[in-house]
Amino acid sequence: MAGHIFYFLIFPGLLFAGVGGGLLSWFDRKITARVQFRVGPPLLQPFYDFVKLMAKETIIPSNAAKTVFLLAPILAVAGACLSSVFILLPGFGISSGFRGDLVVVFYLLMVPSLAYIIGALASGNPIANLGASREMKLIIGYELSLLLVLAAIILKAGNTISLNEIIAVQQQQGAFIGSISGMLLFIVSMMCVQAKLAFVPFDIADAETEIAGGIFLEFSGFTLAMVKLAKYIMLLVLPSFVVVILLGGFRFEGIHILWSVLKLLGVVLLITLVRNTNPRLTIGQSMRFFFIWMNLFAIIAIVLAYFGY
Amino acid sequence: MMREVYIIIFLPVIVGIILYAVPRKYFTAKGIVASLVAAVSLFYSCRLYFTDGGMMNLGLGQKFFSEGSQMHDLLVQAESFTMLNVDSLAKLIIIFVGLFTLLVSVYSIGYLLPRIRPRSFFTYVLITAGCSNGAVLADHMLLFIFFWGILGITLYKLIKGYNSVTAAAAKKTFILIGASDGIMILGLAILWRLGYPLSISAMSVPTTSLITVIAFVCLLIGAFTKAGAFPFHTWVPDYATHASASSSALMPASLDKLLGIYFLARLFNSMFIINDWITLAVLVIGVSTIIIAVMMALAQHDYKRLLGYHAVSQVGYMVTGFALGTPLGVAGGLFHMFNHALYKSGLFLAAGHVEKHTGKHNIEDLGGLSKVMPLTFFSSIIFALSISGIPPLNGFASKWLIYQGIVEFGQGSGIANQLWIVWLALTMFGSALTLASFIKFLSGIFMGPLNPTYKTLREKNYFMSIPQLVLAVICIGLGVFASGWVIPKVIQSVSGSFSYIGFWESSTVSLLVLISIILGLVFYLLLFKKNIRVEKPFILGEPNDTTSSFHAGEFFKTIWGNSFLNSMYKAAEKKYFDIYEISRGTVLGISKALSWLHLGVLPVYLIWIIAGLLVMFIIFL
Repeated sequence: MAGHIFYFLIFPGLLFAGVGGGLLSWFDRKITARVQFRVGPPLLQPFYDFVKLMAKETIIPSNAAKTVFLLAPILAVAGACLSSVFILLPGFGISSGFRGDLVVVFYLLMVPSLAYIIGALASGNPIANLGASREMKLIIGYELSLLLVLAAIILKAGNTISLNEIIAVQQQQGAFIGSISGMLLFIVSMMCVQAKLAFVPFDIADAETEIAGGIFLEFSGFTLAMVKLAKYIMLLVLPSFVVVILLGGFRFEGIHILWSVLKLLGVVLLITLVRNTNPRLTIGQSMRFFFIWMNLFAIIAIVLAYFGY
Repeated sequence: MMREVYIIIFLPVIVGIILYAVPRKYFTAKGIVASLVAAVSLFYSCRLYFTDGGMMNLGLGQKFFSEGSQMHDLLVQAESFTMLNVDSLAKLIIIFVGLFTLLVSVYSIGYLLPRIRPRSFFTYVLITAGCSNGAVLADHMLLFIFFWGILGITLYKLIKGYNSVTAAAAKKTFILIGASDGIMILGLAILWRLGYPLSISAMSVPTTSLITVIAFVCLLIGAFTKAGAFPFHTWVPDYATHASASSSALMPASLDKLLGIYFLARLFNSMFIINDWITLAVLVIGVSTIIIAVMMALAQHDYKRLLGYHAVSQVGYMVTGFALGTPLGVAGGLFHMFNHALYKSGLFLAAGHVEKHTGKHNIEDLGGLSKVMPLTFFSSIIFALSISGIPPLNGFASKWLIYQGIVEFGQGSGIANQLWIVWLALTMFGSALTLASFIKFLSGIFMGPLNPTYKTLREKNYFMSIPQLVLAVICIGLGVFASGWVIPKVIQSVSGSFSYIGFWESSTVSLLVLISIILGLVFYLLLFKKNIRVEKPFILGEPNDTTSSFHAGEFFKTIWGNSFLNSMYKAAEKKYFDIYEISRGTVLGISKALSWLHLGVLPVYLIWIIAGLLVMFIIFL
């Protein structure tokens, strides 16, 4: 049991994922700054933000459902940590400790978004409500595409939902991205990750310039720090998930360490570049994008995978 | 064993009939008696669970009549009709029947206002409980259909028709359930004619010829109508909207599901040998039930109706699980049946509580009730997250089993096996849509600004709160101990043993979630207590304490826009797809056409008679 708590709180859970995610967040901000011809923040800026927010005053709206409003950010962090444990333990090839499968991971990855939604609705602010409704619609949009990606992965790995076995299959036969269907799946899953991270073009729920931060509008101080922490963790977890299911996972021996880090940075770089070169979509556009195009891509990929391509 | 069986079947029925004679003004006393009987029945159900079980005879002849009397001889000769089969599935279901009867009886003492109170409510609740126990234990199909038929009548009596709309809903329920019972008897008649035995344990009918498939479909229609699966579900939303919340919590939400799915399990696992095409057809029905009903639920404004559509949608998961036919799928379907009964009747109880306090039916008219009804809010959140399958609650555990069942099923070679991705994607997507509609339920009723007229509300009625909390605790418990205790010890004893193909350690994860919540609370309490301030929300540069909110009910409409789906919604609202309306239209149309022939002019009738005679001559000569 102590081992489980260690995995959850230290490595690869809260502490590791928080620090790693913070560094990735710096990477993302630095790249963004370079794209916009700015200098960008120092390496530790995400952590300064976090510590500053921890010390700030927390304001609760008067017509909020207070307990739920305060608990929601904590549940977001808990969900993010659990998904990081379930993805990174097999991803790093650690076979001891507790295990989860693809279905569990799929549901856990939904928990942070759900917690933001419930927190925003509990805040009682109409604009946060609006953001929550947008986030829910976006979830309905991308969820089916992500599901189809996972179904295709299960098919390619030979009807197994264990992440360990999916990685093992890839290490024997080469990463799934090496096939035509794998490339299509990579595109779809990157778009889903973009939407799950709420980055442009899918930052519909928190659109600062439009609805003033929407879903995160009423979070402040400690609660906002928790939201930031959950977002850092997700910035590590979701790209790692793509690496695990499509790019063959991580390996920590010799030169493979470099490759593993480069894979992760490459995925984050792609996400950052997409985010910096696109305008925000309307909710209708993004729903159509996922419902028609991404689902179509995923279905084509499934058919190709069925015939062995 | 004999004594337990007698008590759980006959005690509720007899006490129910006695309560019928008690005047209406002693409503509370009747409720307390009914709750006590339900508690006794639950106790004996639990005792029955720990007996060995096996086949037994009801033995009415020896028990009640002296040897040598005519009645004794008659009943002894008819003993094959009164065989009971006390197996592990029946024992488990009976415990849940007892539990729901007890909780709903206690709740109803506090809940039922005279306006919505059906006549002799507790009489019918107790008869329902006794007959459900009888139906679950019966081994011979005739005894089974006897109890099953009585349940249709009590279902009808538990909804009060106090105006034309509610009366129409009651009539619709009665006609659909009655018609399905008739179709079931037709199926039994076919089996009888073909010479198969009619006791469930001895039956093993192959579905190779058309006639046995017809018999199977007839029986399946009975199970589907009772459980509320597409396309025979249409009575469930109407019933849920217009019946009192305790009737809905007892019948469509829990007991009807338990019985309908129980019969489905018997059909699939012991009575018939299923072929590939039937599996395919039933899987299609299962996933379309999930998706269609949840889409309808998303568009509802009446929160009880929303729950009614979910009572349909969740049946799809159970049907899918049982249709897979593998131990993993059966276990998933079975576990989901219990979980669904728990959280759905809990949700109906919570909805009834809200309705009683506010008198409003529409989500749009409510909001902010979390401040005045914290217990109901807490239990509703548990139920809503559970039905949406959020780990580590019980709804997730059973859905996880079903998904694994589907993936495992995909290794087979039949046509239904090859389509496993379709089943997997649609069942999981249904779960996301369920979440969306429960976000609407929770936020619309409990969150946002509170209407000032409800500021004085208090939750003082513990008769109503305690059953909800009990159900919420059971939901959490079944989820937390799912993978360690519930599935291996309880579910596998019924479904047969299997090994998971995935991994889920529910207790560990629950513990970690608990640790996070505690850590979070510690942070709030110790470090930041001084640093928390309550302020009015600030909107558009001004402090704003508005009582109107951006309401959850409407914005889901924008998802579909002016698409094909939107026109389907409109058609569905006009009941173009309702099997009851379709058959009613057909029957009335035919009788209208026939009435056109009844002119009342004698020569025309004579011409018809002669024409008929001529036709007969031509055919037979």
